[in-house]
Amino acid sequence: MEFLQTCIDGLLFGSAYSLLALSFSLLFGVMKRINLAFGSTLLLSAVFSLWIDSLFSIGIFGIFFLMIASSALINIYVEKLCFYPHSGKYGATVSMISSFAIWMQLDEMSSFLLPDRTASFPSFLPDSFFLKDLFIRIDQLFLFLIAVFMTSIFFYVLYKTNYGLLLRGVSFDGELAKKLGVNSGKISSFAFAFSGIFGAIAAFLILSTESQVTPFFGFWCTLKGLVAMMLGGIGSLPGAIIGGLFLGLVESNVINYLGAEYRDICTYLILLFILVVKPGGIMGSALLRDERAASERI
Amino acid sequence: MSLYLITVLTNICLFSFIALSAYLILIVGEVSFGQQAFFGIGAYSLAIFFVYFDFSIISSIFFGMLICFCLALFLSLLTIKLSGLYFAMATLAFAEVFRLSMNLVRFPIEKEGRATGLNGPEGFENIRWIFENNIDPLGFFYITLITLTILVISLFILERSFIMKNARIVGKDIILAQSLGIRPRPYRVFFIGTAGAISGLGGALFALANTYIEPAMFGMMLGVHSLAYTIIGGLGLPIGPLLGVFIDIGLLESIRFLSEYRMIIFGGLVAIILIFYPEGIISPRIASRIKRLFFNKGL
Repeated sequence: MEFLQTCIDGLLFGSAYSLLALSFSLLFGVMKRINLAFGSTLLLSAVFSLWIDSLFSIGIFGIFFLMIASSALINIYVEKLCFYPHSGKYGATVSMISSFAIWMQLDEMSSFLLPDRTASFPSFLPDSFFLKDLFIRIDQLFLFLIAVFMTSIFFYVLYKTNYGLLLRGVSFDGELAKKLGVNSGKISSFAFAFSGIFGAIAAFLILSTESQVTPFFGFWCTLKGLVAMMLGGIGSLPGAIIGGLFLGLVESNVINYLGAEYRDICTYLILLFILVVKPGGIMGSALLRDERAASERI
Repeated sequence: MSLYLITVLTNICLFSFIALSAYLILIVGEVSFGQQAFFGIGAYSLAIFFVYFDFSIISSIFFGMLICFCLALFLSLLTIKLSGLYFAMATLAFAEVFRLSMNLVRFPIEKEGRATGLNGPEGFENIRWIFENNIDPLGFFYITLITLTILVISLFILERSFIMKNARIVGKDIILAQSLGIRPRPYRVFFIGTAGAISGLGGALFALANTYIEPAMFGMMLGVHSLAYTIIGGLGLPIGPLLGVFIDIGLLESIRFLSEYRMIIFGGLVAIILIFYPEGIISPRIASRIKRLFFNKGL
């Protein structure tokens, strides 16, 4: 029973990781680049919305929509400054470093708006209930359901709409898409905005279950999103979901059986092990093979 | 010189070591998020050899570098199939495992009436070499400067040799390298190992300068900073990473009067520098122009 309880906690929390990994994976799938400023974008949008709330008291829904809007805008700013000007193989490293510089900048701005280091975040549905002997927090359950719902919207946008088609086209072959008349700059801005919206929803849900914001939230988001994405397999959307849930399961079990100080060590050991043994992650081995085949052809 | 200026200059020299190690790895075309681990391993092994086993300072530094070299070789052999983001994440995972396990190791001892030794998150205190030998900050600055100069000169000598040229080809285009008859993997393994040793040397000097080390000093931020130094400075010459460190630390210190806004300005500035100089300030193109100027011939 204890094991079942731990697994349920892990899965419920892992759904937050899945959302973060999905928004990372979207960017990596389309741009083949890493946006290190991703987490601090979410932090800044959350802190900014709280600041506006303290001035005008816009309420929880106001915070929610303001977070989405500001996160999308900041993401477009990051795209224009760090990703748009750099292209080519070497450009991937440069834009990563550039986004790292912007990460510092955004973190500093957030610490301006967050002078007390922590702020309480409004939470909703604070109740919890017992299902027979299992303790389930409603807000976490809600987070899980929202994650499932958002993921289906994500897949709908990617596979059923016109924008999704264009996105996948640019992701498949940027040059070819350009020659077929796709405005790839606009598409990459769209991808950034979309991942910002997605990330903001994830961040809102995570923050309201944690019910506080700390300056480390940005770093935490970036790291957990990256790790979950790598565990599941780069560029694979189902992989991102599975990677997040797997990460949640591992963490909750390690905390329960070994202790909290071993949590991150075990996560990184598993990540190192998976990278060495099965570099494509849990789901992405075929993707890795294709990528290698593409880069090795003469 | 004032004490403040000496401290800043010493820091510039110390962080140049880790930037140079990131530089070597970038030359063979990989990105490492894990150089801070070797910096930390160098620092910790110096402290362990020096405090627990009473080795002389030279042999402590040497063994620290040897351990870093072996671990970096091991890591590069482990990740031999990986490249790009996969390699970066593997090195990050390695570095975080090192840092977090240092949080768990506790083995405090007492030496000459002072608490010292491995002590988890509280760190390793009282590495008192500079006090025992009466070395003032200026003297230590000269020590680091001389070590750094020797390192940079040997890298310049390496730059003129076929090893560096072949490594640059490997980093630029693996298929081209293979069709020229260069085997990429030995270069990659050797360069990653050497980078680990250089980073370890820097870490050892860092531990001596600070007399105190803790795991939190060797977080991911340090590794990404070292990458940023190299990218800003450029991959053309070994001077590049030094320039990057100088720009970062020097500029940050000089706009201290704007201290509240300095990261906001600086972050944007770096992004803008990278738009205009995407290959860094001393890019390979400029480097070959400089070489032509001095040696009257190209690469």
